Parts: sequence; structure tokens; C-alpha cells
Amino acid sequence: MKYSQGLQVSVPKYIFVFANNLFEIEKKMAINGDTGNFSRNIAKMKESLEEHGITYENPEGEPFNETRTDLDASISGTGTENLYVVDVIKPIIRAGASGMSTVIQKGIVVVESRNKGESNE
Amino acid sequence: MSKMVNFGIDLGTTNSLITKFEKGNVEVFKNPNGFKETLPSIVGYRNDAILVGEKARTYAERDPKSVISRFKRKMGTTETMKIASLNTSKTPVELSAEVLKELKNFIHSGEKPEAVVITIPASFDTIQSNATKEAGELAGFKNVILLQEPIAASLAYANKEKNIDLRNSQWIVYDFGGGTFDVALVKIVEGELTVIDHEGDNYLGGTDFDANIVEQLIAPALQKLGSFDDLINQMKSESGKYNRLWTTLLHKAEEAKIELSNKSSAEIDLGLIRDLEDDTGKSIDSMITITRSEFESIIKEQIDATAEMMKKILTRNSLQSSDVEFILMVGGSTFIPYVRKRIEELMNISVNTSIDPTNAIAIGAAYFAGTKEIRGDKNQEQARSNQGSLKAKFSYNRNSQEPAEVFQGRFEGDLKDLFYRITRDDGAYDSGLKKLSSRIVEDLPLREGEFNSFTFRVLDSKNNEVDVGGNSIQITQGKYSVAGQLLPEDLCLVKDDIGKKDTILELLFSKNSVIPTKTKKTVTVGKTIVKGSEDGISIMVVEGPSENHSSTNKPIGILAVGGKQISKDLLKGTDIDLTFELSESRDLSVSAYVNGTGQEFSQVFEPKPRAVPVKMLATEILSLEAKLQSEQKEADENGNRDASEKLDKLITKVQDLIVAAGTLSDDDVTDDRFKIEDQKRKIAQEMYSATSGKRVDVAKSSYQETKREVAELVNKNGNDREKHAISAIFAREQVFLNSTNPEKIQSEVDELESIRFEILARDPEFLTGMFMHLVEKRTAMNDQVQAKQLIDNGRRLIDQESWDDLRIVNARLWSLMPTTEQNSDEMRFFTGII
Repeated sequence: MKYSQGLQVSVPKYIFVFANNLFEIEKKMAINGDTGNFSRNIAKMKESLEEHGITYENPEGEPFNETRTDLDASISGTGTENLYVVDVIKPIIRAGASGMSTVIQKGIVVVESRNKGESNE
Repeated sequence: MSKMVNFGIDLGTTNSLITKFEKGNVEVFKNPNGFKETLPSIVGYRNDAILVGEKARTYAERDPKSVISRFKRKMGTTETMKIASLNTSKTPVELSAEVLKELKNFIHSGEKPEAVVITIPASFDTIQSNATKEAGELAGFKNVILLQEPIAASLAYANKEKNIDLRNSQWIVYDFGGGTFDVALVKIVEGELTVIDHEGDNYLGGTDFDANIVEQLIAPALQKLGSFDDLINQMKSESGKYNRLWTTLLHKAEEAKIELSNKSSAEIDLGLIRDLEDDTGKSIDSMITITRSEFESIIKEQIDATAEMMKKILTRNSLQSSDVEFILMVGGSTFIPYVRKRIEELMNISVNTSIDPTNAIAIGAAYFAGTKEIRGDKNQEQARSNQGSLKAKFSYNRNSQEPAEVFQGRFEGDLKDLFYRITRDDGAYDSGLKKLSSRIVEDLPLREGEFNSFTFRVLDSKNNEVDVGGNSIQITQGKYSVAGQLLPEDLCLVKDDIGKKDTILELLFSKNSVIPTKTKKTVTVGKTIVKGSEDGISIMVVEGPSENHSSTNKPIGILAVGGKQISKDLLKGTDIDLTFELSESRDLSVSAYVNGTGQEFSQVFEPKPRAVPVKMLATEILSLEAKLQSEQKEADENGNRDASEKLDKLITKVQDLIVAAGTLSDDDVTDDRFKIEDQKRKIAQEMYSATSGKRVDVAKSSYQETKREVAELVNKNGNDREKHAISAIFAREQVFLNSTNPEKIQSEVDELESIRFEILARDPEFLTGMFMHLVEKRTAMNDQVQAKQLIDNGRRLIDQESWDDLRIVNARLWSLMPTTEQNSDEMRFFTGII
């Protein structure tokens, strides 16, 4: 059993393993392409997790600042302002019914300062 | 920050439900017995036990005189229901409270809610609304918030269909329940639901269909099967031979009606009714078959009437059918396929049946309850403020369509070495530790479509938490909230109209204004009230169109300030500052500050339930008919064909009412008398608007005449101030002469008259004339010695041309006149305020 950060939600550890690996498969498919037409199977597995209140999110491209506690970030480069998520090692995993959910795994990410002009916001 | 109400109740005519808002979702509680969501609004008394719901229904047939249903329609009336087994009577409020108490048993979590949102039809008047609140209080809820049903239904819909873009769209809520009918035009502006307009009939619902079935289908069938004399009246009258059969057949009819929604015919087994015999004692045992088309033909008229109400709303708001997105169907009666079909046909707007008509209102009530704070418990607040020296006040939107919402906090007290920190309870946001100042502003990021809960903490330098009285911030993202509820009718203050020896209405809150609201008015005391006397003034509020006469509107309450309550004489002309405050639950509180005595009087109006004795109702309807006929005669004489035609229609309507009232027995058990009374009031109001043209004409010509005379007088003798005042009236002449409100024009006439009187009061000729008039009345004066002295004095003053002093002498002579003479003028005071 692994407990989320201070909250009263207990989720078996294998769920984290499943979700993290699913995320990784998706990531690999995004790079290499869906050669074997796996996306339908992935979607099925994700749906099954959702039925049990488990969702994961990919925060890539989202802005980051010190108030975000759903991410464990490493800052790459020297700038500390106008930070954006540039790489996601582990996704954010949430548990709970729709309408009210809780972070049970922080996303592990790399953030980088972006010049205002480059911002896609 | 306090706790949210969270609990919602749909207290329906036939069924009631209870729901709870929790973390963005609504749970509809189920009856622990039988697991149904709905609780039939039926109360029965057997031996010592109080039965509510299905259990009561079980006994409805065996012991109909001890089982009561459909009491919502009698809310706000003085009617009580006799309970045979208890040998006593219960009020609709007491019966509703029983249903509410039973609903509390549905809450499986064991919570004991002290506050609740209870829904009411949008067309419930203040008296009916208050009765509902009273029932809630009687059931043990300390804080009862009322919500109009169309808003509740729309909230349920908008929050369910999150994916449909409803921004800036409008629709009609068609709420046809068991006992009441409501239609409302609803619009979403900037994420907030607003009711633009509504119409309704508190006495039209599915139970009327049941009554139609009994009267128009079952009774004729019974008459064929046996021999009955005056069957319908014998069923409807409390002392009637077949009164018990009435209740039983209503139940049978309801079952058949429900069956007809799915099948093309339904059967009523008369053999199941105990001891059913005709006048000759012949037992009746047979089956009656009702077909869907028979049923449709007897409800057609009522369905068409509901479409008329929608058309009225569209016309009033200059809308076409195409401007309305859909008609949202709620309420049990919309299960009837014919209702859906007919409405779509007549309105040419598609009907929307995507929400469950049974529980939508209760679900909406919970959404609303989730945004309402429980009103602070005074003791608790006191304890809190004693605890620490830090005072905090927070403000933020509880509902947001934005990705982030601004949170503001204000603090008073010693803020030195204090910090604050806001965290989101899902673990995804932490503001970090920040220095506390008297005013803080934070942008709180929100998760889309979710209920976002944050914790706000104030910490001292050792990281110990400091109590600021609650620390939870709750914001729902992407769901719709309510901009406000609307007042179903105007609320007006009744004032005296000296000129017409009558009363006029001054608008306090107009129909469709968003409640809660507040207004201030200053009125003038029309007659002197002597300290300690029986005399007094009345601040009276009525509900109904402001352009009507007060007698056609429903009285809400009176704040009386009597001679015994005032600390010194209240002089004529003294100003009274009135403040009217209308709460969200439609409590009207009035406070009056009397400038002359420095006293303040206040009261929360508790409108008295309506009593409608059958005999009085008949007399009132007859006098309304007479009034209508004389108005019509006058309209004919003046060649006003339009008004005459309108009045003609009203006469037909009132004559129908005479017939209807004539068939009522004194102890009629149905709610027919309230329906008739309601219709009578509506006819009276329509008469008033049909004849307003005539009164406008009278007021206009009276204005023109007064204007000519006063203009001449002001030109001749007026001072600068008076000249200025009169030209101001002329300047706005176009506006009030074009209005259709005769009272508005009349008030300008009154203003002109007061200018005339001011000038005349300085005019030697007028003052001398007045003096001579009083001298003639000398023998009738109360104190002859004083009268003689004053008259001698007055004559001398005329010689000396001392006009100001003569005015005082005149006033003192007037005060010596017998009170009957003085009162001939003051008889016209109904309220004592002008």
C-alpha cells in the first residue's frame, strides 16, 4: 500500500505501477508512432482505471511556479521565471470520483524558463 | 467562513425528495424502507402512530378520513384538515412538517442538518412562502432557505449538461407537478442563471387530472351502473354521503393516469372499493376502462392553458419561438406523452426531457444549498470573537467559470509576526508561507469542472495556527450558479390619497426584482397623532400589481404605530423614514424611524394565512360582477369599445365563477374555493387594467384644468421658488402624461394643488374669506369664550392687514371646531400616511 501525500486515500502500489507504465507506453508511442495499433488497448486500460477513480495527467507544456504542489520539478538552465514543463518523467496521478479528486502521485518533471515571446500561453 | 447548507428538499404536492451536495456532486437520498427516492406527501394518523409516505398511502383506501394528501395546495390558508381517528384537525403547515421530518430519516449518514433549502413554486405568494418556511422550522430546521422551483430545475439541468455550451442561451422551464404549474424563462448570463420572467398557476397540477378523471369519466360510468342522486356533490362535500369515495376514487384515477403514460388504456376495478353501493343499496362491482384518447380529451383544455401562459411570457419579452433554445420538462405530469406532444405542437419549440422530471428539482436544490452558508450561530460567533483578537473577513466567488478565482481577505487586529498559507485540499497547490497584512489577495488556481476545496491558515512565528473562525474556501468550477431569485409580484406600500378620499399604492419592490433586496421610502404623517390616544398610523404592505387598487392585492402585513407607543405627539407633516428589507426567503422586515419623536419601530411581517369562507366568496364574486357591469355600461356610454369588449369577456368569466361558487357546499373538502378566490382576484386585476384608460383620461383632464388655474395664480402671485417648482412640473409633463398610470398623473396634480395652497395661504383675500367662513360657524365651536377672543383679534388683524397673524388665528379657530366637523376631512385617512 502506498499513501498519497497526507490525504486519506489509500491506493494499492500496483495501481501506480500500472499507471506509470501506461503513461510511458503512451509517451513512447508518441515518439515512435503507433506501429501495432495499440492505442485502442491503452484507451481500454485507462478507462478501466478511471472506473476505479484513477486518472493520470501529462503536464507537459503547462506553466510551473512555486505554488504548484502536484509537481516535483527540476529546473534546467539558469532562469527561474516564466517556467514551463518541458519533460515529464512521471505523470500526475489522481484518485477520486469526477468532481472531486486528489493528487496521489506528484508528477516528476523538468521545467525550463521560456522567453515571453516563446510562450504558448 | 462557515459551513454550507448542502441539504435540499423538494417538498412536492404529491411527492417529496431530499438531496445533499457533497464535494461537487449531489446525492439523492433513498427511503430506507423500499429504497425509493420519492416519499409520497401523504400523512396518516392511526391509533397513536403517525404514518408518512407509502405507509400512509396504504391506509388511504381503508381509512381515508385519517389520511391526508395534497395539502401543499392549501399552504398559506386557514384551512385545517380533520383527522377522524384523532378527533382533531391539522394545518397544512403541520402536515408538511411531518413530511419534512420523515425525509430526515432518509439521510443514511446520520447527519442532523440544521439548515436546508426547500423549493417552492415561483408563483407562491409571500403568505404561501412563509407557510413553507414555518413548516421547515416546525420540522426542526433552524435555518430554512427557499428556492424557486424553475431555478432549481435549471440548476440541475445546467450542471448535468456540462458539455453543452449554454452560454448566453435561454430556455423555458415547464414545471408541471402534482399540484402546481410554473413556467419560467431562464437565461444564462456570465455563468449565472437568471429567471427573466415567469407565470404560473398554484392550483393546476396532475391532481386536477385525477379529479377530471373522477368527475368526467368515472362518475358518469358509475351513474350508468347504479342509481345516484347528485353523486359529484355528495362526494365532494365533507358531510356528503359519498365523501369517502371521493378520496378513494382520486387514488384510483391517479393510478390509471400513470398507467396511461405507457399503455393505451387503463382499467379501474370498482370491485376493489369497499362497500360501494348506490342510493338504493345496490352493490356495484364492475370494471371501468379508460382509454388514452378519452384521458387526453379531458385534459386538453388545461394543457392548452399552460401553453397560453408561455405565449404570454414570449409576448411580454418580445421573443419568437426560435429565440428559445428548448422547453425543459420537469414535474411528474410531464411524463404524460400527450403533454410533451401538445406543448411541442402549440409552441413550436422542441421539448427537452433530458433530466429526470421526478428528482431534478431536488437535485437543483442541493446545488443551490452547496453555495449557501449556514447563517451564523450568534453564540458561536460571540465565542469566536472572544477567543482571539484577530478578526477576518473573506470574499470570493463560490462558483467560477474561470481557471482561477481571486480570493480576498481583510484582517483586523494585531497582525505582527503573523503569516498565512493557502493549500488546495487535493494536494496540487500551496501558496507558501506569506506575511499577513490587513488586506491580502490571492489567485487560486481551479481544477476544471471540479469542486475545489482550499484550506486557509494563519500561523504565528512559531508556526502555530491562529484561529480566525473557520478556514475552508470552497469554489466550484464550471458549474452554474444562481444570479438571484425573482419576486413573483410587486410589493407596494398603501398610502392615503387625500384628493380622492381613497388609498394609492407606492411601489416598493417591482415584480421580477432579484431578492434579497432593500429599499427606503420617506412618508409623511397625514394627521396629528396625540400621545396616548387610540389613534395611530399603519404601514401596510400588499402584494400585487402596483397600478391596481390596494383592495385587489393581497395584504402582507401591517406595522401599526399607535398613540400609546409614541413618546410625544406626532405632528401632521412629520416625516417617517421607512426601510423595507426582503430576504432571500421572502421575509419582509420593516423599520420606521419617526423623525418627530426619534423613535424606531420595526417588525418582521408574518402574513396571516388566507381564510376563504364559501359564503363570503360568493358575495364578493357577485359584487365584482356588479362592478364589472357598471364599468361596462360606462365604457359603452363613452364609446370605448375596446374596454367594453375586454370587460365583456371578464363578465363571462365572473359568471362562470358564480356558477362554480354556487356548487360549492359550505364544507367543501377540495381546494376549489382557493382556486375560485385566486381567479376572482385575477379578474379584479384585469378589470382594473381594462379600465385604466378611463382613469388616465380623467386624470389628464384634471391635470390640464389644474395646470391652467395654478399657472395663472403663480404668474400673478407666485414667488421665485413656486415659479421654479411649476416649471419643473411642466418640463416633465410629456413623460407622465404619456404613462398609462393614472396615479402618476394624479400625484402631479396634487403637487400643483399644494403650490396653489401655498400661494393662497399668503393671499389676504383668501385668508379673509376663510376667517369669515369660520366666524359663521362660531356657534358650533367648542370654547365660546376663546372663540370670541380669537374672532375679535382676527377682525383687528384684518384692519391692521397683519396677514401672517391672521393665518394663525384661522388655524386656532379651526381647532375649536367640533371633531365631527374636523373629521369630515380626516375621515379619508385609512393609513394615516401620505
